[in-house]
Amino acid sequence: MLAKEIERAGVPTVFVTSLPTIATMIGANRIVRGPAITHPFGLAEEERRRIVERALEMLAAEVEPTTVWEVEPA
Amino acid sequence: MNAVHYLNQFFAGLGGEEAAETPPTRLDGAVGPGRGLAAALDGIEIVATLACGDDYFAEHEDEAVDRLVALVEVEGPDLVVAGPAFGSGRYGYACAQFARAVSDRLGIPALAAMHEENPGVAAADGKTLIVPTAVNVAGMRDALPRMAQLAGALAAGRELGSPEEEGYLPRGFRRNRIAEKSGAERAIDLLLAKLEGETRSEVAAGFDRVPPPAPVADLSTALLALVTEAGCVPQGNPDRLPTIRAQGWLRYPIGSEDSLVTGRYESVHGGFDVTLANEDPNRLVPLDTVRSLEQAGRIGAVHATFYTTTGNGTPVAASTRFGREIAEELRDAGVQAVLLSGT
Amino acid sequence: MAWELARFSSDFLVDVPALDGVEVEVVPAGEPVRVTHVLDAVEPRIRPDGRAAFPTDGRAGEGRTNRLDGVVVLSCLDFPAEERPLHEQESIVDLAGPGATLTPFAHATNVVLTFGPREGVRNEELEAWARRTTLSVAEEICRPTLDAEPSAVERFELGPADESLPAVAALVQLSDLGPLYYQYLYGVPAGQAGLPRAVDPCEVLDGAVTCGEYHWAALRNPTIAFQRNELVRGLYREHGERLRFAGLVLMRGYEQTADDKQRAAEAAAAEAARLGADGVIVTTDAGGNSHTDVMLTVRACEGAGMRTTVIVAEMADPESTNPGLTDWVAEADSIVSAGNAEELVPAWVPERVLGGETLLDGTPAADAGPVPVRNYLGATNQMGQLALTATAW
Repeated sequence: MLAKEIERAGVPTVFVTSLPTIATMIGANRIVRGPAITHPFGLAEEERRRIVERALEMLAAEVEPTTVWEVEPA
Repeated sequence: MNAVHYLNQFFAGLGGEEAAETPPTRLDGAVGPGRGLAAALDGIEIVATLACGDDYFAEHEDEAVDRLVALVEVEGPDLVVAGPAFGSGRYGYACAQFARAVSDRLGIPALAAMHEENPGVAAADGKTLIVPTAVNVAGMRDALPRMAQLAGALAAGRELGSPEEEGYLPRGFRRNRIAEKSGAERAIDLLLAKLEGETRSEVAAGFDRVPPPAPVADLSTALLALVTEAGCVPQGNPDRLPTIRAQGWLRYPIGSEDSLVTGRYESVHGGFDVTLANEDPNRLVPLDTVRSLEQAGRIGAVHATFYTTTGNGTPVAASTRFGREIAEELRDAGVQAVLLSGT
Repeated sequence: MAWELARFSSDFLVDVPALDGVEVEVVPAGEPVRVTHVLDAVEPRIRPDGRAAFPTDGRAGEGRTNRLDGVVVLSCLDFPAEERPLHEQESIVDLAGPGATLTPFAHATNVVLTFGPREGVRNEELEAWARRTTLSVAEEICRPTLDAEPSAVERFELGPADESLPAVAALVQLSDLGPLYYQYLYGVPAGQAGLPRAVDPCEVLDGAVTCGEYHWAALRNPTIAFQRNELVRGLYREHGERLRFAGLVLMRGYEQTADDKQRAAEAAAAEAARLGADGVIVTTDAGGNSHTDVMLTVRACEGAGMRTTVIVAEMADPESTNPGLTDWVAEADSIVSAGNAEELVPAWVPERVLGGETLLDGTPAADAGPVPVRNYLGATNQMGQLALTATAW
């Protein structure tokens, strides 16, 4: 709901979550799949940088409603 | 007749959050809440219990469903029952997806039980029958006989009546009936009620979708904010953010920090094992990475405040309100982009 | 302004004039008859003062009008297929069987007029002939009431009402999607009738609006739905009790561009605001993009500070959980469902078929199998005439 309401206010928002199905159902538009519930932004710094970069790309991208992007493996 | 029952690791007695990575497992007969369910069932025996860790299911959903369905197929039951999961989002989600897969792939009638605001209800998307329960385990005694009643109706193979008659949550199919009053009279009643402050509708607004706003034009000048639903707070949780069913949200200053340092921040989210997050809170709120990207000029600036709540069993209306309030602050602060993390 | 509606029993139905090219049949209530290709349903009316029952001179809702209670004129016409300008839809009335629960006409004596095709006459001309003939038959068969005493007289007049009661207006949509898809106001297509504008609610009850709109049958507002309009009658009943009836605004459905839709919605809301409405009930005509006009009107009214309730039919696949609304805005938080037009009505075998033996899809009307609700005339009427609704299963 947070993602949807912040986007409703016009601010592009990427929701990083390991449960993209749920994120899609509640109407988040920009979704990046995180590796795990316990650490959506990864364990190691290198992994985190790839996830954040992917999220930044999505913030700068035109997307269809409820789009899910995967993070490229290292 | 035979039934198979599904539980998560906790209710199957395998352990709490530390056992949340348990892969699909078969146990003999009825286990835990299954014993109470067995007592309520009439002419139906629980021949096996399947269990799976909540995290395992969420992180390996396809594989978990495949393995669970295969285990059901071996048993060849007349009926499958999942839960009750109450307000637990991951458990409810697993119950719904499992039950849905059982009826889709094996053609065996299945039902799940959980609170009506559990994300599993939306995941079921009308494809699974769901018995509504209370939000927490205190509702167990009430839930089991109602699950048994619907199970009996399914096992009998008869056509189901309305949700009220049979005790399941409406799946969303639109069925006609003759109301007591004409549509015109009902419209007058609804309008007068709304004018007095009570808004009702015969059609639930089903598709409240927000179109994606335009992308950030230039990240290198944009103000980026960090928001989390993962319950990340300063060590010791000074403002007492609840671990479940949050009543509000909090903001904390991070303007002078380069990283969420271990031991100074922690997660109080009650829905997952927070050990890994507390070893390094940047795994939930990636301040270390965005700060270095700010210094490298990849993003303009990191907003000096981060926002946090627990997205765990929070009712839709409440989390919508949190979202609106946070959005207003962000907009007033000139924030142009948000990184939101959840479980 | 005051208007009186005098009631006469169906015993006054003595004779139906013979018409060239038209089969006429009077069917008593509840006969196992299916009527097909139904264009319109009209209540027999006549005015003792000699003015037209369905006037084109802009003067309805005054003086007295006689009505034949329990009699309905049904007009049927099977258009030559190759000429259909748009896809006109099947339209059925079942006077018995499961479909009879979807219509009030099963309880009435039905005067069924079946208009035959005429050599060299085009659809629009055929339709105009059928429409005018039907209205004049509805007037003619009421003539015997002119020398008689009514069994009851209803008086429609808005007296003073407690100012503390909320002011409620009705915003009634009339379709105009081109030939064969017009509703008429005083004989003029809705799109040329200077809408939106406020009219005396009595005008709507007294034959000012007639139907020439043959879209989805269930979502249609036949002439009788205006003559017997439950919403207007309900608002009269409640005036001074739970509300003040602030008035009625007619607006057009099927504005053809996004800008026109927006402008028309705002203009309709402005008319309602001029009536001093605190709340507005918005009604819908037909389906498809007329639902967009309605939803934009709801938004415009809410934006202007008036609370709204809207009546719409649903078109939801019975096997899907997708919402059945054609369009929706967040402001539409108070919706009356007139039923799901996509649900199937169980098969029924009538003893007789009037209006045409073959349905538009080629199946025999006498053995058509299950028929979707959307093919039953007025079954999900979006002015709230009937009690049908849809609930979540």
